[in-house]
Amino acid sequence: MANENEILDNIANKEYEFGFVTDIEMDILPAGLNEDTIRYISEKKKEPAWLLEWRLKGFQAFRKQKLPEWQNFTLPSIDFQKISYYAAPRSKKKYNSLDEVDPELLATFEKLGIPLSEQKALAGVAVDAVFDSISVATTYKEKLKELGIIFCSFGEAVQEHPEIVQKYVGSVVPHSDNIFAALNAAVFSDGSFVYIPKGVRCPMELSTYFRINTENTGQFERTLIIADEGSYVSYLEGCTAPMRDENQLHAAVVELIALGNAEIKYSTVQNWYPGDKDGKGGIYNFVTKRGICKGANAKISWTQVETGSAITWKYPSVILQGDNSTGEFYSVAVTRNKQIADTGTKMHHIGRNTRSRIISKGISAGQGQNSYRGLVQIGAKADEARNFTQCDSLLIGDQCGAHTFPYIESKNNTATVEHEATTSKIGEDQIFYLNQRGIDSEKAIALIINGYAREVLNQLPMEFAVEAQKLLSITLEGSVG
Amino acid sequence: MNVLQEQTIPLYGRIVEKYSKLSTTAASQQARQSAFHRFQLLGFPTIKNEDWKYTNITRFLKDEYALEAPSAGAPAELSELLAKAAIPDLDCYGIVLVNGVWDGKIEGGELPKGIELHRVSDALSQPGDLFTNDNWGNLHFAALNAALYTDGLFIRVAANIVIEKPLHIVHVYTSDYNLMVQPRHLWIVDRNAQLSVIESTVSGLSGEVKIWVNNLTEIIVHNDAKLDHVNLQTAATGTRLVQQTIVHQKKQSLYNSYTFTLPGADLVRNDLQARLEEDHTETHLYGLYLTAGDQLVDNHTLVDHQKPHCFSNELYKGVLLERSTGVFNGKVYVHKDAQKTNAFQQNNNLVIGKKATIDSKPELEIFADDVKCSHGSTVGQFSEDALFYLRARGIGEATAKALLINAFAFDVTEKIKFPAVETYINQQISHHIPVNHAG
Amino acid sequence: MLIIKNLHAEVEDKKILKGIDLTVNAGEIHAIMGPNGSGKSSLASVLAGRESYQVTEGEVLFEGKNLLEMEPETRAREGLFLAFQYPIEIPGVSNINFLKTAIGEIRTYKGLPPMDAKEFLRLTREKQKLVEFDAQLVNRSLNEGFSGGEKKRNEIFQLAMLQPSLSILDETDSGLDIDALRIVAQGVNKLRSDKNAFIIITHYQRLLEYIIPDFVHVLYNGRIVKSGTKELALELEEKGYDWLKEESREQEATTI
Repeated sequence: MANENEILDNIANKEYEFGFVTDIEMDILPAGLNEDTIRYISEKKKEPAWLLEWRLKGFQAFRKQKLPEWQNFTLPSIDFQKISYYAAPRSKKKYNSLDEVDPELLATFEKLGIPLSEQKALAGVAVDAVFDSISVATTYKEKLKELGIIFCSFGEAVQEHPEIVQKYVGSVVPHSDNIFAALNAAVFSDGSFVYIPKGVRCPMELSTYFRINTENTGQFERTLIIADEGSYVSYLEGCTAPMRDENQLHAAVVELIALGNAEIKYSTVQNWYPGDKDGKGGIYNFVTKRGICKGANAKISWTQVETGSAITWKYPSVILQGDNSTGEFYSVAVTRNKQIADTGTKMHHIGRNTRSRIISKGISAGQGQNSYRGLVQIGAKADEARNFTQCDSLLIGDQCGAHTFPYIESKNNTATVEHEATTSKIGEDQIFYLNQRGIDSEKAIALIINGYAREVLNQLPMEFAVEAQKLLSITLEGSVG
Repeated sequence: MNVLQEQTIPLYGRIVEKYSKLSTTAASQQARQSAFHRFQLLGFPTIKNEDWKYTNITRFLKDEYALEAPSAGAPAELSELLAKAAIPDLDCYGIVLVNGVWDGKIEGGELPKGIELHRVSDALSQPGDLFTNDNWGNLHFAALNAALYTDGLFIRVAANIVIEKPLHIVHVYTSDYNLMVQPRHLWIVDRNAQLSVIESTVSGLSGEVKIWVNNLTEIIVHNDAKLDHVNLQTAATGTRLVQQTIVHQKKQSLYNSYTFTLPGADLVRNDLQARLEEDHTETHLYGLYLTAGDQLVDNHTLVDHQKPHCFSNELYKGVLLERSTGVFNGKVYVHKDAQKTNAFQQNNNLVIGKKATIDSKPELEIFADDVKCSHGSTVGQFSEDALFYLRARGIGEATAKALLINAFAFDVTEKIKFPAVETYINQQISHHIPVNHAG
Repeated sequence: MLIIKNLHAEVEDKKILKGIDLTVNAGEIHAIMGPNGSGKSSLASVLAGRESYQVTEGEVLFEGKNLLEMEPETRAREGLFLAFQYPIEIPGVSNINFLKTAIGEIRTYKGLPPMDAKEFLRLTREKQKLVEFDAQLVNRSLNEGFSGGEKKRNEIFQLAMLQPSLSILDETDSGLDIDALRIVAQGVNKLRSDKNAFIIITHYQRLLEYIIPDFVHVLYNGRIVKSGTKELALELEEKGYDWLKEESREQEATTI
């Protein structure tokens, strides 16, 4: 077995793959946050009055809220005035086709492994590419349109389908939900919008790729997905950012609405820049994700593979309102160096016979800190509700930490809630067994980790599963304990 | 400080007044003062305090409480209360504390050599401070107690002494008017010594009288020493019981705790902290809460793994009847130095009452890597299969349910090492699970 | 003793029993055989009153009383015993306490005085011997940590203790080694009399070498498709179930 220190050094020296910067002309709003910032963004996007009003309400709420103070979680102070709230690649007009997109932008996404030209694109995946504040391209749009599926940037949806946007925006994550959601409501620049009509099964994976490029900007996108009765959609998001010494803020909001018998599967592979080995730089990833199963038999499933960001703070949740509805949360979160991941989920059981399943796998290496924070709430009317939670933590190296804070609240005497959690060191005897069969420690760990995370990785669509598996192996390369 | 509480909670003003009038020895002066300041800083807990998120005590603070206990003298109903606390067939030494004051009498024969019992009030008059310093962290009520206590029970078992018979301490709380009492105890089990303590808490209150017991017990289990600690909480309606137990465990010591809470008291809040201050300790925490009526029973435990090679195991079970609320918050904290820690925790709840509520929060905070820790929490009902099996053998549904409740509790009761106590507690449980509850 | 007429039942909207007719008299042993999924265990569950099964048609008379109207425990008290295919483990309930309770409740139902401790002890010892059931197992938690064979022997031990008039053995032989099988069979043979009856549900003919049935019925697709004497069991052993499936399919085709 290789020397432990040598190997631990190795992880620290492992470079972030996606840390390059794209040199492109940008429209950047000077740093600062006040009502004028919001009016500027709204005007820039030619938004209707109701949306500006809603943004301003969000800003009011933001000013009243405090940063969360939680057990074993201290947020660094953030100077909200030093961030630029809008940055967009400079262009004369809206792109009508890919040919009009700046070749430098296309090259950037290609380098990230996200080719945007449809000839090269991954078969069966439609992509909305978001560069800093705005969406630059959406593939397969026309093909989807034939089925009545709307897949476009949020800005476009506001222009073309204002009635749907107005009906649903803020209906799951209100403008005053928490400080970051309020900030997002005030300054969100773009994001993706999806509407799947009644009874339609979306034939391809829909996907958004987020890229932060410009210095001192924050990214505040907003995603809204509505699955009408009996429809199905699988949605993926991926994200990267350049290596910079300053921390950058990413405060996104995702709202999912599943009507009766509809199903939404939302998968995330989060690989924002995590900062260097001393914890310098990296993205603050403070995201509010929530879905509602509005109708009976609806289903929302969150899957996430979290390997990036300096600090992650997110709890994809499901409100189980419809009878017999189902909520799922599958998560793998890896922290190393000085990364902090504070993640988990909330399952609000309101309807009868609602089901939820939570599988959370934390892996802490280096000086990384990993916390699971979860809530399972059974309301008085949620007869026969059921939850199963399994959260496991794996520790690699003696400098890291793993924490579990589950909250279980039940007001119903027909409910069943089961929570299990374990924390342990990576199995030395397992590594030895694999060694003895001729597998070196590095590969042995990768095998063990992938086995450990299997239950979650299996939830990802094929195209992403392979990538996520690779990402896990790379992230933990050299992490022998 | 806490102007709002000073204005809205009548008890708060009385506390300030009592503190200002307290006559005290110089030795304890400083400790009382810092505890009082701590309490002023913390105030009474509200649901905004994470540790009190599910336990709202506002309604109990609305009542007024006097802070002076009635003058000594055996109250009329004492024998009745003692009969309630008596454990048949238990061979033990027995003592009784009325409102936190021991009358100095011992039943069950003379104490063997090597164990000494004193009133805290007597020990206080000796030079030097009896208690070690503590800043009380977020223990609101412990800080209050440490500022205002006047009496309690001091126990010391000398090194290498094994006390064979258990010591049964009956705490009787009784008053004709609303009262808050704050007994403070200190028990020391010296090197390689062994002791078993069984505590019973009973109360007798007439009519609408309320009593608030703010109990603080500190325990030091020295190297290689062993303490078995059974707590039987059977106080009556009208009682608000806050019981803080802080256990300091030294090298290779063993501490076993068994906490049973039964229907009665309006509020029971147990804060049990096992602080594993040296290596190779062993700790077992068992608990059973059977709640009924509008009871609110909250068990907060902390197993603080500060040093390596310690083992802890915790099992708390709850049966919630009628409209009662149960709260369980178990924290296992493993410090960076505490390698080779094995820590296990389990909380299971059986929710029977249609309006019963359970809030469970098992927590793991782990900063060392070579550890094995796990926790589990369940909320559920009877296994339908088990019920069917019993019914298919001719056992009626209600009886079958009562059997299953007893079986559920069995995991905890079977852990008690004194058969007489196990029988006693099983009878108490059966008494509270009449057939109509289960139906 | 037991009369089943045109019994139809379903579970989760799936039709499982599609018209069973069967009469069992005191002193008889009936074997019910059939391939997997034919409805054998479902029949046992319906007779014992498992709630997930809905009876949609037909009637069952047990000692002249409407069995289907009774609660599961009433059926047991009336003398119907099911030896479970998968006996459940109940941690914390001791075998002995469980039996004491069951006997107590059955006696109360029958208007008999409670059994005194001495008599209970004597009965336990006697019946234990009958099924060669270890005294230690009797004191352990119900089926907890029992091996498959121990669980099955515990079922027969309970049968001996409760002395039912009609016993249904649901695949009691499955997963048993030859010694355990012999013990179980001997137990049943010693317990049988002209006052009681047995229904033995089994997939294999093997158990029937030890317990000689008076009648053998073949259940297929929710119906009894063939009845006969013990020779039928041998025939099935030899030819398997396939020919039966053919035959019943042909029958069905002609009736349609």
